Amino acid sequence: MPETIGFLKPRQAVLDRRREIVADLADLLPEGGLVSDERGLKPFETDAFIAYRRMPLAVVLPETTEQVAAVLKYCSRYGIPIVPRGAGTSLSGGAIPQEDAIVVGLSKMSRILDIDLFNRTATVQAGVTNLNISDAVSADGFFYAPDPSSQLACTIGGNIGMNSGGAHCLKYGVTTNNLLGVKMVLFDGTVIELGGKALDAPGYDLLGLVCGSEGQLGIVTEATVRLIAKPEGARPVLFGFASSESGGSCVADIIGSGIIPVAIEFMDKPAIEICEAFAQAGYPLDVEALLIVEVEGSEAEMDATLAGIIEIARRHGVMTIKESQSALEAALIWKGRKSAFGATGRIADYICMDGTVPLSQLSHVLRRTGEIVAGYGLRVANVFHAGDGNMHPLILYNINDPEEAARAEAAGNDILKLCVEAGGCLTGEHGVGIEKRDLMLYQYSRADLGQQMAARAAFDPQWLMNPSKVFPLEGRPAA
Amino acid sequence: MQTNFSPEQLADPHVAESETILRKCVHCGFCTATCPTYVVLGDELDSPRGRIYLIKDMLENGRAADSETVTHIDRCLSCLSCLTTCPSGVDYMHLVDHARAHIEKTYKRPFKDRLARSVIAATLPYPSRFRLALGAAGLARPLAGLLKRVPFLRTFGVMLDLAPSALPASRGAKPAVYAAKGTPRARVALLTGCAQPVLRPEINDAVIRLLTGQGVEVVVSAGEGCCGALVHHMGRDEEALKAARHNIDVWLKAAEEDGLDAIIITASGCGTTIKDYGHMLRLDPAYAEKAARVSALAKDVTEYIATLDLPEQGARNLTVAYHSACSMQHGQKITSAPKQLLKRAGFSVREPAEGHLCCGSAGTYNILQPEISAKLKARKVRNIEATKAEVIATGNIGCITQIAGGTEIPILHTVELLDWAYGGPKPAGL
Amino acid sequence: MIVHFEPASEEGIASVVRSAAAERVTLAVVGGGTRAGLGNPVRADRTLSTRRLSGIVTYDPAEMTMSALAGTPLAEVEAALHAKGQMLAFEPMDHRPLLATTGEPTIAGVFAANVSGPRRYVAGAARDSLLGVRFVNGRGELIKAGGRVMKNVTGLDLVKLLAGSYGTLGILTEVTFKVLPLPPAAATVVVSGLNDAEAAAVMAEAMAQPVEVSGASQLPESVRSRFLDGALPDGAATVLRLEGLAASVAIRAEKLGEKLSRFGRISQLDEAQTRILWAEIRDVKPYADGTRRPLWRISVAPSAGHQLVAALRLQTGVDAFYDWQGGLVWLRMEADPEAELLRRYIGAVGGGHATLLRADEEARGRIPAFEPESPAVAQLSERIRAQFDPSGIFNPGRVAASVRN
Repeated sequence: MPETIGFLKPRQAVLDRRREIVADLADLLPEGGLVSDERGLKPFETDAFIAYRRMPLAVVLPETTEQVAAVLKYCSRYGIPIVPRGAGTSLSGGAIPQEDAIVVGLSKMSRILDIDLFNRTATVQAGVTNLNISDAVSADGFFYAPDPSSQLACTIGGNIGMNSGGAHCLKYGVTTNNLLGVKMVLFDGTVIELGGKALDAPGYDLLGLVCGSEGQLGIVTEATVRLIAKPEGARPVLFGFASSESGGSCVADIIGSGIIPVAIEFMDKPAIEICEAFAQAGYPLDVEALLIVEVEGSEAEMDATLAGIIEIARRHGVMTIKESQSALEAALIWKGRKSAFGATGRIADYICMDGTVPLSQLSHVLRRTGEIVAGYGLRVANVFHAGDGNMHPLILYNINDPEEAARAEAAGNDILKLCVEAGGCLTGEHGVGIEKRDLMLYQYSRADLGQQMAARAAFDPQWLMNPSKVFPLEGRPAA
Repeated sequence: MQTNFSPEQLADPHVAESETILRKCVHCGFCTATCPTYVVLGDELDSPRGRIYLIKDMLENGRAADSETVTHIDRCLSCLSCLTTCPSGVDYMHLVDHARAHIEKTYKRPFKDRLARSVIAATLPYPSRFRLALGAAGLARPLAGLLKRVPFLRTFGVMLDLAPSALPASRGAKPAVYAAKGTPRARVALLTGCAQPVLRPEINDAVIRLLTGQGVEVVVSAGEGCCGALVHHMGRDEEALKAARHNIDVWLKAAEEDGLDAIIITASGCGTTIKDYGHMLRLDPAYAEKAARVSALAKDVTEYIATLDLPEQGARNLTVAYHSACSMQHGQKITSAPKQLLKRAGFSVREPAEGHLCCGSAGTYNILQPEISAKLKARKVRNIEATKAEVIATGNIGCITQIAGGTEIPILHTVELLDWAYGGPKPAGL
Repeated sequence: MIVHFEPASEEGIASVVRSAAAERVTLAVVGGGTRAGLGNPVRADRTLSTRRLSGIVTYDPAEMTMSALAGTPLAEVEAALHAKGQMLAFEPMDHRPLLATTGEPTIAGVFAANVSGPRRYVAGAARDSLLGVRFVNGRGELIKAGGRVMKNVTGLDLVKLLAGSYGTLGILTEVTFKVLPLPPAAATVVVSGLNDAEAAAVMAEAMAQPVEVSGASQLPESVRSRFLDGALPDGAATVLRLEGLAASVAIRAEKLGEKLSRFGRISQLDEAQTRILWAEIRDVKPYADGTRRPLWRISVAPSAGHQLVAALRLQTGVDAFYDWQGGLVWLRMEADPEAELLRRYIGAVGGGHATLLRADEEARGRIPAFEPESPAVAQLSERIRAQFDPSGIFNPGRVAASVRN
């Protein structure tokens, strides 16, 4: 595919010293902590945004914060770019390396350090997966709320990098609302701690700035997160509609009525078929749009909340209503939803958009998205977090066909511009990464971006941390 | 995922199949999380996604296997946990099979590895040789420590460690037709296996007793051999296909004589392979159809017993930790039947945490990759012991041997417990 | 003479800032001035007020978001929200009674000081509700950050940085925030007679139950009678708030009471009492006594709050009550603020931070109001500040990072 998104030109001085750099890094890391041969580096050339690939100079897999600090200190001394990597599940290319960069993979730092049920916190190394946290406290009746669909695999470090959301964020907030503290390594190897079990530290909210900074401000090696008591019960309910528009406007009305379910997820027909093929969750196949609405609490509470939602859904001509009857059924409903992107791989390659729009614009943007993609001669599947307006059109294409791939990328750009025009934003939870970097000026002015880059420079004056991402390559301050 | 094969490369049906498999992968990374070696080692190269990428690169470039690629493919347990996890339907099983065959064809292993692999391939699949070898191992045991210190002979030291110190006297079920009690309701063939009758002959005895007691005639065919799984996973395709063809002939002969309702397999590792005969021999015009028939007849013993609708038994005061072998849950997707059967038989069933993770046995893995295998064993035992169960049940001889080596809790084949519950003798060790 | 600027537009503010930056004239940035006493004393050449930049810009209840100009009175915002059955989830406290200030708090002031209340522990602080801001930086540039949708990770989250920055990084001109439906019903479960340590355990137990406690506070006997005009039952009161649909609140209150009955006497407050009580807790009523006696706002892990107070009691005269499950300690000193002792003890119980909220002028001039940051973090904060306000003209001296200069 012809690449339309550029990377920074590799620093020749770094490339020239490759052999020495690899030898020096080997001294800083334990056995098995360095990948430097070409074959071994290849699998690190991309993440889940597979349209773009770059080979790294080397990959390090440290086991401790001290090792991360040693690597960063070394790299800052020689001006070597760093690309942090968690599980490599980014849909925006956040973990794609570049030729002169050292990938710092946190996958070996996967220990849970402290579970404090009295204060309802968990402190974990950055390479612990999102789901591992909930699994570790589930038997005691707690969970960690943000639940990106890749929660099985994605790491908490990556979640912090992208300020990840998920289906249940409608009620519980995204990562930044559930993150209490981090230990992180700055570009020069300095180790700092931000936040902790005590809330709202005075001073600038650097923790808030770090969350969602896409590896540009440093590498988080440990995180303390908030745990929440599990509800007494939870029940996902399926609502099938005859059109995407009626499903979309039903969502806006539910929220507008003052009912806030735990989650409202939307799937259109193509998405329903894809997910059902994988999960056999019992999604209705005869509807054009499906909402998964989850309510929680005691049986009486769930019934009461649900009654209100059903009434609204009826006003929008709901065709089918199906309540999950067992924990297993509920699990399958969520499994299908959370596997939607991967399951799409059964029928086509895809790029996944992530714009968020005001709820009142949902139906309009859904319709326009369909028109845009059809205009490029492609198909689209929609599966997304409707309750907070966070859309995920999956543009289906054949990645082996360069011309089709180019059309898919163009369609994606048009959709994101549409989201911004509708009063929304480019990305609700997947991050800018490499994918949306050059669209940033649609959402922000040069001055806006200038201020963001200035904040970035306070952390990384040399622009070594994940430097090809987030900010358009033109208009950057001199490092 | 984007692929890059020339039309000439795709003319090879194996490459074409792999290309189709690779195209489905969207690199989402879900598989990494449930891969035992990634969980233990934390290196993407030791995850399905990393291996898929290594394989893709090797095949696209039509390159001979290199040591880096071989190292990481060798570390794959073929537990197929990734197959269960993958939402995209990537057929990792057949991709890694292809890669292993490619490695076997194009890569020259160091002499010590070749020697060890040849010894394994020439011993384990043959019960008589295996018995002999284990007897010799008993004599050689004092040398294990010494052997392990010599890198060249390390594998043999590990093998000695794994060999049981005493062998059962029984030689297990002989080839014969075991008549059903009462009116026969079905007729099945039983694969008695190669390693299993040597290590635990009681398992086949229990199967025959249980099935015949339920009105099922059981045929143990003369001449049946190893299913081929062991050599198959070592990339020795020709040997594997030879074993498959041989068994197909034996079973179809039995089927032609008096009909067969099923071929019963008591080791889920073998079951996964026999159910794949159809695929393995799809390019062999003489055997493709026959192999597909055999695969369709192949049933895990619990899968089959579940169709017999055994009566519910009174509660027994015994807690059983059910360990689902990878070949059972991921390879054959048999997940609830064994647990349901145990519950119906009156046992109280507990499920250990991280049930999706391999115990590290994985065929010959515990011999060839002892460090990773030991870590997985320790982790598995920790999770099982946390259930506080009194006995462990599982459906694969490999797991039985592996887990027994790490815990004092007795471990039985699921069917031994079922046999006991339905009138058989109390299993030894309880 | 202090010159007072009151521009009526964003451009007006930007223009004042540009000339101030050029001439290195420092500006005290104020909204309603009701929280002017928070932080360290500001010494500035001029005052700039956002008061005239007032009014709700957009409010669509169905979107659960509102945009308002910086100087919009908080009362106006809350009235508009209440009219549509909505609220600010973070329950901002009113500092006027405590600091004896007058005037109208502004919406931007709430966010600039990251002011929250009892619900903070479950619903987040002001910063968690803030979706987007417009502000004028120290170069006089108008910058926007964030947006008006619920989920937005486009670029660096400058919104968080501006929240709680006390006007030292930029002058907020417009804020967009999310709102939540007002809970239709509320009740409070009271457990009476617990000491502080027992109360901490009871509150932790309550928070671990699937009943969604939205406020957990311990009111020791020394302060109990100052709440609800003395209507709380005798003995220390451990109070737990439940909110939601009426039927659900009743069921949950029942369940929670049963669960906790083994710890102490259980009673319940009705909805009206609940609303009053939690407003009084929010506004620290027992210590809003018109005095300047030193008052600390201390944030520690919930398990550490009572340990800290117990340790201090052995050394000096203190009075305290607790919010946020015990993690927020309102601590009043009898005489001296004892900053050094207090901060040492906070370190000893596992860390946290003490903010000197009120003290006489002499003490305020000598004691940094905010917990000092570690050297590396303080340096970072300084660099951040320099990137927003290179001339250092906004609120000099007010925040921790600046007080040491």
